[in-house]
Amino acid sequence: MTSLPGLPFDDDPVPLADPIRRPEPSPAPPRETRSSTGAGAGAKSGRHTNPWREADDAVLPPIEVTPEPRRIYSVSELTGAIRSLLEGTFGEVWVEGELSNCRVWNTGHLYLTLKDSGTQLKGVMFRTALRALRFEPKDGLRVVARGRIGVYGPKGEYQIVCEHMEPEGLGALQLAFDQLKARLSAEGLFDPRRKRPLPALPRKIGIVTSIDGAAVRDIIKVLRRRYPNVHLVIRSTRVQGEGSALEIARAIGAIGKVEGVDVVIVGRGGGSIEDLWAFNEEVVARAIAECPVPTIAAVGHESDVTIADFVADVRAATPSAAAEIVVTRKDEFTGRIDSLSGRLESSITHRTRTCGSRLHQLEARPGYAGFHGHLALRARHASELTHTLGRVGISGVDRRRRALERLLSDLDTHDLRRRLAGVRTGLVAVDGRMGAAVTRRRFTSAARLGDAAARLDSLSPLAVLGRGYAVCWNADRTAIVRDASTVGPGDAVQVTLSKGSLTCEVRDRTYGPDDSGF
Amino acid sequence: MDQTIQDFEAAIAELETIVHKLEEGDLALEASLQLYERGVHLSRFCHARLEEAERRVEILNERGELKAAPPGLGDPPDDEPRQ
Repeated sequence: MTSLPGLPFDDDPVPLADPIRRPEPSPAPPRETRSSTGAGAGAKSGRHTNPWREADDAVLPPIEVTPEPRRIYSVSELTGAIRSLLEGTFGEVWVEGELSNCRVWNTGHLYLTLKDSGTQLKGVMFRTALRALRFEPKDGLRVVARGRIGVYGPKGEYQIVCEHMEPEGLGALQLAFDQLKARLSAEGLFDPRRKRPLPALPRKIGIVTSIDGAAVRDIIKVLRRRYPNVHLVIRSTRVQGEGSALEIARAIGAIGKVEGVDVVIVGRGGGSIEDLWAFNEEVVARAIAECPVPTIAAVGHESDVTIADFVADVRAATPSAAAEIVVTRKDEFTGRIDSLSGRLESSITHRTRTCGSRLHQLEARPGYAGFHGHLALRARHASELTHTLGRVGISGVDRRRRALERLLSDLDTHDLRRRLAGVRTGLVAVDGRMGAAVTRRRFTSAARLGDAAARLDSLSPLAVLGRGYAVCWNADRTAIVRDASTVGPGDAVQVTLSKGSLTCEVRDRTYGPDDSGF
Repeated sequence: MDQTIQDFEAAIAELETIVHKLEEGDLALEASLQLYERGVHLSRFCHARLEEAERRVEILNERGELKAAPPGLGDPPDDEPRQ
């Protein structure tokens, strides 16, 4: 009851209460121009075409000839007879028409109507057959369908059970390609704004292709030649045949998650459009779109364009070209860095050279040169002064002044005063000669003073004291004790040292063998 | 690695900016020398980064494990047969 016996339905039951069974308009009147199916719809009321007549002849006794024993069929019997007639006659037919009322139910089966200018043929395509189609059957498409005519007893309907369908005009693959392309494009998957830039310098390159194919060897060869220290991670996958699209999609998903992979090449070598078909499948397109790192699609040859090419961030004409896109960038960068380094060097050289020559120019200016001369002169003068100053020595001047003062005081206190007193006494007693004598004495005194001063200069008494000598004075510091005989035991003497002075008492007097103190 | 350098691309971009600035030439000598020093640093970094990657081919298997590629895959003969 729920299946059409004898038809290759697999396990797909024909749904009984599917809402697709809409109320049937009254059957179209038979068309003279059309074939058996058109005639079939109006078979009860219309003329018979050959297959029907033959079938009638075969199954039913000729009514006109033997009217007496009326043959009465049950509905089931008649339907069964019709079924065997139809199914026997139209084992497999090809029928051409326009699709309408296409609807896929949640069972996965497609219900449809094929029509031409005035006739309709109901049909169904079960999900197994439907899945094998590469394009999507849609209303308005003109198709050629291959199938068997079946009779659906519960509704008293016949229909075509489609096993295969091809779009008219375009090939099925082309149509499928166009349909998917239009759909993904409408979704924005090919939008240039989605395209990600490739990494400037990939650290790890992921490759999704067949390890046995030519593509992987081409890629490795190119990379090795131009980028010897490259790190590759290959995820091998089948790239053609049933189920390969899903495998490729999974491989893309897996390699995108490998730590450090920052660009993925997806592709295969050349082949027929059927060989490359996996790369036109939606599941592959989506995997590329969802890949977390930028992708390069490299499928077949230059002339092969697949959906994968549109979705990927970069399309390479061939697998080798994909490898070149990655490593060309290395070449480019090596050159760029070298050029930048060169410009860096020359610009800094230029800069320092500019500064240097400006300096030379400044130095060469007359004002600067004169200044330089003045400076040199002054420097020499200064150094001469410094030298002189060093030689004279401020401390030496002080020392001499102090010594001179002391000497003058000596002269004042004992020598000069006493002599002047003597002279004065003499003046009273003698005549004008004395004036000359006094004058002579004064000259002598002056000479002695000059002599003392000269000696003072050369002796520098404090320096002598510094060497350890001491000066011994009489008690009231009016005379220097030069001879031990001028003092006696018990007399006080003053001793001037280099630092400070002592008041001492004479205890004894001794003479060395030469009358010296030593 | 120098912490002040973000990555290769950033380094190249900075190096370019520096070269442009230096080539304009209106910087003080001291600033120029500082930029130059930085530029040399960046260019060394970039060169090092270019040579840094390892030469290695690995296979990612179905269990998500990374294995070394079979020998010969990495170094195919020059005239290997096409598929």
